[in-house]
Amino acid sequence: MIACRDLTCKYGDFVAVDRLNLDVPAGAICAFLGPNGAGKSTTVKMLTGLVAPTSGSATVAGLDVVRDALEIKRRIGVLPENLGLFDDLTVEEHLDLTGSVYGLSRAETRSRSGQLLRVMHLEHGRQTFASRCSHGMRKKTSLAMALLTNPQVLFLDEPLEAIDPVTAKTITDLLVAIAKRGVTVFLTSHILAAVEQFATRIVLIRKGVVAWNSSVEEVPGSLEALYFDLVEAPATEDLTWLGSARS
Amino acid sequence: MVRVRAVLKAVWRAVRRGQGSFASIGTNNFFLFTALLFQRDGGFLYLIIALLMLFPLSADPLRKIPRERLVLWPLDRREWWILRVLSPWLNPIMWVLAALTIWAVRHSVTWQLLGAVAGLFALGFVLSDVGGGAWDGLARRVPGRGLIKKNLRQMLSTLDFWCALVLSIATTIYRFFDRTAPPEAFLLMALLVMLALSSYAQCLFGLDGEGGLTRYRLLPLRGWRILLAKDAAFLIVAVVLTVGFHPLAGLAAALIVLAVGHDPSVKHMRPQVRWRFSTGAPLGNGVVQVFAMSIAANGVARTSVLLLIPCFAIYGISLWWFGRRMELE
Repeated sequence: MIACRDLTCKYGDFVAVDRLNLDVPAGAICAFLGPNGAGKSTTVKMLTGLVAPTSGSATVAGLDVVRDALEIKRRIGVLPENLGLFDDLTVEEHLDLTGSVYGLSRAETRSRSGQLLRVMHLEHGRQTFASRCSHGMRKKTSLAMALLTNPQVLFLDEPLEAIDPVTAKTITDLLVAIAKRGVTVFLTSHILAAVEQFATRIVLIRKGVVAWNSSVEEVPGSLEALYFDLVEAPATEDLTWLGSARS
Repeated sequence: MVRVRAVLKAVWRAVRRGQGSFASIGTNNFFLFTALLFQRDGGFLYLIIALLMLFPLSADPLRKIPRERLVLWPLDRREWWILRVLSPWLNPIMWVLAALTIWAVRHSVTWQLLGAVAGLFALGFVLSDVGGGAWDGLARRVPGRGLIKKNLRQMLSTLDFWCALVLSIATTIYRFFDRTAPPEAFLLMALLVMLALSSYAQCLFGLDGEGGLTRYRLLPLRGWRILLAKDAAFLIVAVVLTVGFHPLAGLAAALIVLAVGHDPSVKHMRPQVRWRFSTGAPLGNGVVQVFAMSIAANGVARTSVLLLIPCFAIYGISLWWFGRRMELE
């Protein structure tokens, strides 16, 4: 469903993603993990048509990300890094807009929106302008927009961060259920323990280069141990002034 | 006092940076061309600009610091009071008021003028604390759906719109109460209304922010459709504001203003600040805009309504061309 061949993105001299090769089959939940600045969001941006690759190629749902960008947009749902919300629209108006742009009938949009707002615990804030929403509410709104159109492929940039535990559990259960129905999920995250529970494929990226790519069953030991080993070990410096005599 | 001084210093820095956004008036078509064309005779127009700018300028400086952060800082009651009393003096309008008071005492300005300015300042100061809810209420009442509704709300949150509205209301009242007024006057006023809106047409995406621009790129829409939603909101406002005196001239001018404004709007998506005059493009684009819209409006008003056809054609070509350009960006 997603295929990358030597996919590369450069910003000037800086190589954000370096010759990425990747295959994600239909119905997989692929967790794309790495530290900040590793190239995760840039990869998502290239696959969703937000950034043009410098070289290499990629297909989503069998369509070329450069040549068929508009058709790909019709088939995917995206939770972008900056959430992609308009300050001047309310939560509910964002869903109405998505429905009308993607050709859903008004009744269908209303029906799906109502369910999504309930599932995401957004009902109380449906009339709130995006500019006045908390970060969690904004993220849930953007996620609801991604799901509303029943996409073939979902690209989710850090979907579980800033989300309350109950909604996070609801979202992960939902992702597992739709993946079983053939929807492909490609997500980035920093919450390794949560990702390990529901992802079917693990890809680790470090400085734009893939450091690990396997099914979740093939991960030796815990995902956290593998991550610390291959990607980045935690800092060990002790801040001795913390907890010492007040200054 | 050390804590109060630190907070005041932070507020002052934020106020100073915020006031930089008022510099947008320096590249705003309405201000530039009224100053150029009317010079000393433009008193009424400058008064409108000054009064409109007084409201956002009057905002409480303490609002520059997020309320949650402010209450988390370990300030005692006495320090709070000092901060409350001193912080309004970080607003330059307070110093203007102080100067006006001294002049009023010396009878250089009237107490009525001082009262009016002080009243407006106080209103702006208080509204900056409670105004968010009022704006939300107004924004909710904006008619329409989807992108056009959003774009209308954005237009309403610029001073360009309110300036055009003041001119429109004044002209409409004049039209209905003075039947002897010459038709040329209404054509000129329609042009003035469009001049007030023209800088906004040079920065159509300025209020969408990073998130909005990302969403535009993700929507499965052709560039011209996104641009058309922007233009539709602009055209609605233009026609509504000129309907009382010269809607056809207003429409012709609006089409041309948009056709010329697409270039800076698409090529340089300059971020804008709400409740300010729009930052226009470099002067060249503004000159072309004003010159072309004057020809179009004059032609439609004095020659034939059929001249609207070439206006629509020029607009259509610009829409197609810059829509395509948007997809390539």
